[in-house]
Amino acid sequence: MVQMYNIIILLNLEDLINKYKICNYHVSKQTKTKTLQPPAFSHSPFSSPFTPHFPSSECLSTAMGSSPSRDAASNPASVDPPLASASAEPPHHVGLAVALPPPVDEKKDGVVDVNKRVDYLNLPCPVPFEEIQREALMSLKPDLFEGMRFDFTKGLNQNFALCHSVFMGSTEHPSQSGDIVKVPSSNYEFGANFLDPKLMLVGRLGTDGRLNGRVKCDLTENLILKINASLTNEPHYSQGMFNFDYKGKDFRSQFQIGNNAFYGANYIQSVSPHLSLGTEIFWLGHQRKSGIGFAARFNTDKWVGTAQVANTGIVALSYVQKVSEKVSLASDFMYNHMSGDVTSSFGYDYILRQCRLRGKIDSNGTVAAFLEERLNMGVNFILSAEIDHRKKDYKFGFGMTVGE
Amino acid sequence: MADVGKGSSLTVFSGDFVKQWTTWGMKKAKVIAHWGFIPLIIVVGMNTEPKPHLSQLLAPV
Repeated sequence: MVQMYNIIILLNLEDLINKYKICNYHVSKQTKTKTLQPPAFSHSPFSSPFTPHFPSSECLSTAMGSSPSRDAASNPASVDPPLASASAEPPHHVGLAVALPPPVDEKKDGVVDVNKRVDYLNLPCPVPFEEIQREALMSLKPDLFEGMRFDFTKGLNQNFALCHSVFMGSTEHPSQSGDIVKVPSSNYEFGANFLDPKLMLVGRLGTDGRLNGRVKCDLTENLILKINASLTNEPHYSQGMFNFDYKGKDFRSQFQIGNNAFYGANYIQSVSPHLSLGTEIFWLGHQRKSGIGFAARFNTDKWVGTAQVANTGIVALSYVQKVSEKVSLASDFMYNHMSGDVTSSFGYDYILRQCRLRGKIDSNGTVAAFLEERLNMGVNFILSAEIDHRKKDYKFGFGMTVGE
Repeated sequence: MADVGKGSSLTVFSGDFVKQWTTWGMKKAKVIAHWGFIPLIIVVGMNTEPKPHLSQLLAPV
């Protein structure tokens, strides 16, 4: 669950990063395959409706397989223009072959080109391990909320901005009887962001005294230090995590240290221009739990498929198909062996000029939709709706985001 | 036997000392981070070019 909360922070932060067009944060420019287009705009970070879930041993182990992948869910990191499918012009032939037409090296959409010889020494750098399911999470997991939300970001500088956000609505607290109890709440959060190509500092301070902070620092060109922390006044409820990321030529590795003596490491390697395989392990000191997981990601210009398996009994699969420039369809399957949960969801993501609409339907009987509409330059209107037919829970929210 | 007992108790004592000292350090670091992180961001931000004015920081719009 430590991961889960960090993911919630990071989820919104990636939107913020994209706003400031930090290109070097995630996907390196060497990627030959096109990832989905980022949204033209995004709402501001640290949406208040998310009450943090404190780590508990069961939550951490069940979340292990899926939650690291939910990290940076709405990360529209690839601001690079998509590279063409045929990455190189066919070489000009001389001699006898001049009379013959050059071989057509076209890659059919969605089909892996087998004619082109693969240079195994020059594979593209894979996406970071926690972002393996990035496209599916961007489409299927918008941050749905209930109530009213208002975010105002005031930029003082190219790199520095202050942010005020107000939330009034219900938040859910799990109660003893197992039902979800909705408690009306309101909060105000003050935040400051400093974004530099080499250093990023983001902090959010709420009225209850909770500080969510994030630091990302490029120590060298390939080594990145990230710190996430959520500090409270109550003792034993604070969390922190240090990540050291190393990016190699065609691999990425990460080492994590967190509170409660949490240690984790992951590694992902490109084995072909389209396929990358990764693995992760973690060890939780205080509860003496450990786990190992494997992941694979196959992406082409038109679709992305991922699979993740963990020894905590989690299997997570996802598939995203880009139907056109504006439309993509996503599907997701998760199986938890320990609790016997099976969940599958299907969703769509329309990225249009003035709005972004995401909708999904779930095997738990929930239907959800999320709309972000651009009313004006810097003014976004947000509507969120979620209907849970099984639990008879209806959540509707609206909000506005003001600021570049 | 007495020597072994003394040696092990010394190790236990120094291990305890290190643990206590790191816990003290982490507690202090947590308090410093809790109070000082947002002011740190503001100070760093106000010192980058072009320098924003203090009135811009305090005014709501």
